Amino acid sequence: MTDTPQWNEEPMDARLRDLAKEYNRPRGAVPRDAMWQAIAPSLRAASTADVTDLVPRIERKRRHIAPYAWSAALAAGLVFGITLEREVLAPRSAARVAQAPVITRTPRVAVDPRDTMSSHPTPGATSGATMGASTSVSPAASLVAPSTRIASSSSRSAERSSTMAGSRGDSAPSTATTADAQQLYRLAARQTLVQAEALLTAYRADDASQRDQESMQQAGRWARDVLTSTRLLLDSPAAKDPQFRALFTDLELVLAQIVQLSGAPLQAGERELIERAMRDRDLLPRLRSAIPAGATAE
Amino acid sequence: MDGQQLDERQLIARVCAGDEGAGRTLYDAHVDRVYWLAYRMSGRHELAQDFTQDTFIRAFSKLQDYRGEAAFGSWLHTIAMSVILNGLRKSKRFEQREAVLDEAAMVPSLTRHAEPDLKERLAQAIDALPEGCRTVFLLHDVEGYTHEEIGGALEITAGTSKAQLSRARAKLRESLADFAGEWVHD
Repeated sequence: MTDTPQWNEEPMDARLRDLAKEYNRPRGAVPRDAMWQAIAPSLRAASTADVTDLVPRIERKRRHIAPYAWSAALAAGLVFGITLEREVLAPRSAARVAQAPVITRTPRVAVDPRDTMSSHPTPGATSGATMGASTSVSPAASLVAPSTRIASSSSRSAERSSTMAGSRGDSAPSTATTADAQQLYRLAARQTLVQAEALLTAYRADDASQRDQESMQQAGRWARDVLTSTRLLLDSPAAKDPQFRALFTDLELVLAQIVQLSGAPLQAGERELIERAMRDRDLLPRLRSAIPAGATAE
Repeated sequence: MDGQQLDERQLIARVCAGDEGAGRTLYDAHVDRVYWLAYRMSGRHELAQDFTQDTFIRAFSKLQDYRGEAAFGSWLHTIAMSVILNGLRKSKRFEQREAVLDEAAMVPSLTRHAEPDLKERLAQAIDALPEGCRTVFLLHDVEGYTHEEIGGALEITAGTSKAQLSRARAKLRESLADFAGEWVHD
């Protein structure tokens, strides 16, 4: 900054400003109409519905790409899975950890309900037990039979008892839900990989000399759908597996390249880059080896 | 100015009510500046087009949330900057990863002449600026935004914007030090 004092900064800055105006100076007219073609449908949709992701939906509808409808369901499933994992399962397991001392201590206490009524009638005593604090206080008050509890007319004990019963009853279904969620991720990952393989195979099989802009745009739209699913998977527990993660990351890169073709004039250089990226990363062989035998695209 | 803002509010209200013609008028009033900014930042027509489309699509979908606290143009440019910078980050990450594959294909404009002239050197120097400095330099010195506008769009303070600009200019002077003689005589 200060090691170039041999010239005056003022005229240089002024000259730089002038010259910089030539930097990436737009030439020609702004393609207003072409861009409006893509924007107008979203405006129409925005006025009729509250939508957050207008473009893909409208494009799909307008271009009648029924075969790609699967990806919407897949993405929705993934979003549901991620939400389930983050919002429901994570807090629940945390809550289970917090309640664990109460649940594990209860079998140690075998108290006759009648004794409970007589010896531990105060709410304070049961409160300590529920919090999982010192075992000098019996947690039995929260385990007494409902009829006994009614007789004791302690509504707090009743509430706590039902909470306990609820938490004990929850453990089995939540384990099942976790397994379901994992199954969902696995399924989504497999579906995405199958689609990616189909897309890349079709892309490579297509004779390069016959690729027109329309077919490239179609590939781009397809790739955009698969890319959405891939990115969702990258953020999901499915990507915890390092092998899957590496595969998804490489896949994301190649798909992002193919997506770029959708709006761009055809350039042999870009296509060459895509093909080299696929080749150098052994993408297709890795995809095929990651897909279980018998899995199909639809 | 007030009349113009009033008109714009009426337009926005009509767009929210589903008037596509009003949407087009609003678009026509702002699209050039958004597109030029996108092109200036990206240097590629297809990217500029994508960024501009995304900006307007996002703006129209969020139009119900626009409260009129800032001028519509400023609000729109905040969205545009967010779209452009995010898009550029993605495309830069992609290009960096691919640079090893085909360097020549990635930087064709830098190798057109054996001895680049001042403009090309300046372009290279601007490209080499850190992202924050480059953005502020282009917005302020090239596109004519004020530091307050830049601060609003980039969610930084005006002071930070000034500091970034100063750093950008210093780096450019440093990069172009061998052209210093020309400035001395100007």
